[in-house]
Amino acid sequence: MAIFSKVYYFNMVTQGHQSHVLIIGAGASGSVAAARLAAAGFKVVCLEQGDWVGPGDYMSAQPEAELAWVERWNPDPNARRGLADYPLTGDADVRPVMYNGVGGGLVQWAAMWQTLLASDFRVRTLDGIADDWPIGWGDLADCYAQVARDMSVSGLGGDPALPEMDPYPNPPIPIGKIGRVAAEGMDRLGWHWWPGANAIASRRHGNLQACQRRGTCMIGCPENAKATPSLTHWPSAQAAGASLVTGARVTEIPVDEQGRVRGAAYLDRDGVEHFQPAQVVMLAANAVGTARLLLLSASPRFPDGLANSSGLVGRRLMQHPYRTVTVVCEDPLDSWQGPWGQVIYSLEFAETHPERDFVRGAKWMVMPHGGPMFAAAEYQEAHRHDGFEAVWGANFHRAADEVFGRAFTWGIQAEDLPEDDNRVTLDPTMCDSSGLPAAHVEYRVSENTRRMLDFNVARAVEAAEASGAVSTLVRDVWPTGIGHVLGTTRMGNDPQTSVVDRWCRAHDVPNLYVIDGGVFVTGGSANPTATIMANALRVTDHLIEARASQEIPV
Amino acid sequence: MSGSGPTPAQRLTLDRLADVLVPEGRNMPAASAVGVSEGLLDRFLDAAPALAEPLLSLLDEAPAEGLDAFVRHLASQRPGDFGVLSTTVVGAYFLSAEVRRLIGYPGQQPNPLSVASETDYLDMLERVYERHPGYRECS
Repeated sequence: MAIFSKVYYFNMVTQGHQSHVLIIGAGASGSVAAARLAAAGFKVVCLEQGDWVGPGDYMSAQPEAELAWVERWNPDPNARRGLADYPLTGDADVRPVMYNGVGGGLVQWAAMWQTLLASDFRVRTLDGIADDWPIGWGDLADCYAQVARDMSVSGLGGDPALPEMDPYPNPPIPIGKIGRVAAEGMDRLGWHWWPGANAIASRRHGNLQACQRRGTCMIGCPENAKATPSLTHWPSAQAAGASLVTGARVTEIPVDEQGRVRGAAYLDRDGVEHFQPAQVVMLAANAVGTARLLLLSASPRFPDGLANSSGLVGRRLMQHPYRTVTVVCEDPLDSWQGPWGQVIYSLEFAETHPERDFVRGAKWMVMPHGGPMFAAAEYQEAHRHDGFEAVWGANFHRAADEVFGRAFTWGIQAEDLPEDDNRVTLDPTMCDSSGLPAAHVEYRVSENTRRMLDFNVARAVEAAEASGAVSTLVRDVWPTGIGHVLGTTRMGNDPQTSVVDRWCRAHDVPNLYVIDGGVFVTGGSANPTATIMANALRVTDHLIEARASQEIPV
Repeated sequence: MSGSGPTPAQRLTLDRLADVLVPEGRNMPAASAVGVSEGLLDRFLDAAPALAEPLLSLLDEAPAEGLDAFVRHLASQRPGDFGVLSTTVVGAYFLSAEVRRLIGYPGQQPNPLSVASETDYLDMLERVYERHPGYRECS
């Protein structure tokens, strides 16, 4: 057995070629691992298929900001069709969305910062469904606190619905007019609410500037007030020696005769093939991309895909099916103003209740409502079954007149349970621009989830009425996802029923790790980034601590 | 905008189609009255260049008469094409400075926040704390 040792292997590294740890994907999890490993003295290489993006690329400060959604900053890669994007095919009730570039999904996220519930780790024990995680909330507690500091989170501690946590590094974003109206409704009903935590700096902190409330969080923050790894992690990672190769599309992760991974083969922007050797490989390409890479790396030793002896690679995709209730009020709320994170959230209906006809629950969050184009689109979508006359012609101006600036949205994200048939496979015919098979996604919203969403939407309408709404706009399940892709390489103690162990090391391959949201056993209803980053930190710290026993290729 | 751009005939057709979707009303001007087929269209297509080809094809296909029925046909039978048309019209319409002035929209402007300005919701928050049973324990 070869032993992985920082000191020992420093002498074996070929400068510019060999690496101790190869990370695939420069998003939420990969950036955490890269910064930690580089700081600890490891030679780190990260391959990212996309490019750097920053304020110079955003349309957010232009009058055309709302048009960013149409094409260049459309969160759906099939609509955006960027050079780094790969097609998503298949018949899915909810089609995943993602961003491929430095920062990954955190380039376009709304920066909502939410830990899982304590109960989310014990779903089987508490509710008799799905599976328990091999770790608990307490295993992540310190890492939750650390990544919140690293991400300059603004929020208010003390939420009784959550375990006690360290204070956030910045005070909460003001809840503003829309948060107050929403909170007053919840107060009248006696329901839970709390000021939202967001990875948006309410004051200058770290590499972030103070939020300017521009409201363009999801199409890029031109003020650099929203946390994204290109600001929060890569500067320190690169300063410590980590190498980030952009425009690098990984094609395969080959193994040696002992079944250990040797590194990764990739294509650069010109289609030239390269091989990046490594002693350890960490996959951080999101639950769709990582599953795709593992399936692309099938070999005689692993005919069903790398690390797939369980048959679970690609299965159990979870996405937090999402519905919205837009609350239209009498008085102006200036609700195009940001930030477009969560100003308040509610966990009132996040837990299983014996009198409901579904298990588990949903998280709610209040967001602003955007500019007039967004108001019109929301109005049209909510009235899509009412015919042409309801939204066009003489009624077109109702959206701007009645909704624009006077509305906020309750977003309702449901915990979808892990189901084997919700899965990612390789498309047999469609390929990306490099000739690699597209990701084929099959996903059905379950009956449990639909009941959960129907119940929560009905409660949200009640909350709207308690807030004094003059009307509500209710949307069905959004056909494109909200960027939460989870579960396709689940962790667990049993190699027959999980892909990676509790340290996120592949059961089948001793020097291969998966550190993205694919390892989630269940999805909870919380926005997953805090947990993805905290878990990546936990796993990386363990890898560093246990390096003396880490197997590597000979 | 790249390429030669829409022809005068295509711009005229867009004006007529746009007014089916966005006529004058509620003290707001019709789409054609604010120039959705002119500079606003060019700005829109600069921001969304992939829509140019399907849009121009649609404008060429539009009949000389019966545009109202044509638009309704797109809406009911060809949702993809209708999406191209309606997104263009709405996107260009709300770029208009006149329209923005009338609806009171300054654009997505910076507006610094003050974290010290809000403490008056704490009474409501205290009630949340008092009535909440606490998180679900699990070992």
